[in-house]
Formats: sequence, structure tokens, C-alpha cells
Amino acid sequence: MKDEEIDDVLTKAAQAQYDLKPETLQRVADSIKPSLSPVSPLPPTWVMACGLVLVCAAVSLAGAARAGFFGFAKMDLLERLLVFPALVLLAWAAASEFVHAMIPGSLRRISPGTLLGLGSAALLAVFALLFRDHQTDHFFSIGIVCLLTGFLHAIAAALLGWLLIRRGFAVNPVSAGLVAGVLGGLAGVGVLELHCPNFQAAHVLVWHTAVVPLSAAAGGLVGWTLKFRAGSSAGENTF
Amino acid sequence: MHPDSNLEILMARYQRGDFGAATDLIECISPQLHRFFLAQSQSRTDADDLLQETWLRIHKVRHTYRPGEPALPWFYAIARHIRVDHYRKSVRTAAGERQLEELSREVATVPRETDPVDGLNALLAPLPESQREVIEMLKVAGMSLEEVARATSSSVGSVKQKVHRAYKKLRETMSAAGFRKGQSGGLS
Repeated sequence: MKDEEIDDVLTKAAQAQYDLKPETLQRVADSIKPSLSPVSPLPPTWVMACGLVLVCAAVSLAGAARAGFFGFAKMDLLERLLVFPALVLLAWAAASEFVHAMIPGSLRRISPGTLLGLGSAALLAVFALLFRDHQTDHFFSIGIVCLLTGFLHAIAAALLGWLLIRRGFAVNPVSAGLVAGVLGGLAGVGVLELHCPNFQAAHVLVWHTAVVPLSAAAGGLVGWTLKFRAGSSAGENTF
Repeated sequence: MHPDSNLEILMARYQRGDFGAATDLIECISPQLHRFFLAQSQSRTDADDLLQETWLRIHKVRHTYRPGEPALPWFYAIARHIRVDHYRKSVRTAAGERQLEELSREVATVPRETDPVDGLNALLAPLPESQREVIEMLKVAGMSLEEVARATSSSVGSVKQKVHRAYKKLRETMSAAGFRKGQSGGLS
């Protein structure tokens, strides 16, 4: 059979008359009538994405202000011009995807996995290009501190971001959690780049970049937990 | 489809608290959604419950629809979410997590007993769930590839790939069953 013939068969089958009982429709209408009131739609995507990027910037600056801008002070102009615009661009992409994940029926331009992969790869590329000190002093002891610092700020940024767009509705909480984690992770990397004066290539490539996949995994886990809980209580929603 | 109106305009009026628009939307969309649920549910009662639950959720999150955006993918994205939640819950309640994979494999491979008026369910029965829902959205709801991508939170390329695979599988199944052009009944 040709595709057109299959198409014809499916179209004819789909056009079969299908009616619902009027009482079913009436029951649905009656269930929403008591709580029907005007609502204001969500703002445009770019407004919410701007808000999320600003939240990330605020968390990064607040974290670095508390700990000191030692990394920023040590960077030369080229490093500043490459690292921070790259972080802002990636944060913008993650913020836009987070907004799309919180609006049903949005067109997704990039999957959460691809966003995570591309984001991490872009950071690795920028860091590998800029940092050429190949010593590895106190690799683990200092690295863990950076990873935890970045991760804690990532949690703060992701929570504040979620607060900002909590009126949305995630049809896939795992995907939304993962994207929120990537966004928070970028805020965490921002704190580290502003604060951490350790420019050893291995340290920056491994421990700074690792904040993004770690927070993405945590976000995905939170989303999975919410999805599991939502599944347990499905059918119990009433108005 | 409802005369003299379209879903996007009705949605905007529904957001402004217009009960007439809400009723029109319920009449327009519910048969499609019910059919969408019936393709996977065991019974009409299940599909009725899912439809009711979907409308309650639609009502709760109606502010997330943004005027000017296509409304149909928004409805289907929510319906799909409800269906997946319900399916997961019913499987867990009935048989535990371990049987989920077995059941979904059965659903994907064994033609089920279907409503006599709905030959499409029987035609699509050999397809895996992800391919079947894409074909349902394209053929029953009349959605475009981009709208299906929106409803399923995937890319247009991914939808095209699923359609291609579904048609390949249908071609094999229909040829094996000696299906003739113009026939629209089930395969079994």
C-alpha cells in the first residue's frame, strides 16, 4: 500500500460519527460553573525569561558579594568578555526553555537533555580556551568546596525561578525540573566565576562545570518525585 | 466544529469568565478528547472520568493559555498529562510497578476490543502508544505536525519520525491483512 492509501483509510476511519451523551457534557459544564471567574493570562515568554535571567544574575551577584569577587578581579578583559556573556546567553536559553516547560502546548525548540549537553559543552569549550594552567593542586579538597558552593546557589536560583513562574503548569515535571536545574546550575557557575580565584584548568573544567549537570540531575529528581506524587493523587482534585 | 467561532476566541472569552464560551468549548472539544481517552481506556466510564478530570484541570490552569497561541495543542497537552497520570496510577494500584512494562507492551501489540463506531482504534491497535497518539492527533483532531509537536512537548522532526514509523508499521499490517483501498474497518 502507498502512504496516500493508508492516509485515506485513516481519514475515513477518523471521520466516523462520534457523539457524547448530553448529560456527560452537562456534568462537565456544571462542575466548572461555580468557580468560573476572569483570570489574567501569563505574561509573554520573553518577560518571564528576562525575570528568570535577572533572578540568576541576582543570586550570582549576591553569592559573590558575600564571598568576595576574587575571581572577577583576577580575570583579564578577554576572560571577562567571554565567560560572562556566555553564561548570560546560556541562562537566556535555559530560561526560555523553562518558561516553555511551564506552559502546556508550547513549542519546544530544544530537549532538556540537549540543553544540558550543549550548555555543559559550551562551558567546557570556553573554559578550555581561556584557562591554560595545567597544575592540579588540592584538586579534590578545593574542588568539592566549589562544587558545593555552586550547587547551593543553584538550588537558591532554581527555587526563586520557580517562585517567579509558579502560575505555570508543567505537563512534564521531570523535564521542567531538569531545565530548572540547568538554569540554577548556570547561576551557580556564575557565583564560582565571580568568586573563585583558582584558574587551574582541571579545577575549572571539572568542578565548576559539574555544577550544571549536578543541579540538573537534582531538578530532574525533584520533578520525578512531584510526578510520582501527582500520579498517586490523580483523580482526587476537586473544586 | 462549532460554527461562527474558533477555539482561540472561545478560550479568550473563557478566560474572561464567559460561561457561554466555556460551554461552547466543552461541546467542541469533549468528543475529540473522549475519543482520545477511549483509545487507551478499558471502558467508556473510564473515558468519562478522564474527560471530567481533564476539564477540571483545564479550568484550574486556564490562565496558562495565552491568547494568539493555538488552543488545540494546549488542550491536548493537558489531556495527555491526565491520561499518563491516570494510566500510571491505575497500573500501580492494580499490579505494582513491575507489571507496567508488561502491560504497556500488551497495549502496544494486542488489538483491543473497541467501540463499534470507532474503526480507527482497531486500525491503530498494532502501533506503540507514542505513535498511536500522534496519528490520533493528526487524523482525529486534524492537528498539524507543529501542533502535535506542541501537544507532545517534542520537536516537529520527532513527530515526523513517529508518523513515518507508524505508516511503515501500518503498511506491513494492512498488507498482511489484505486490506483494500476504501476500507475503513478494523484489521481483525
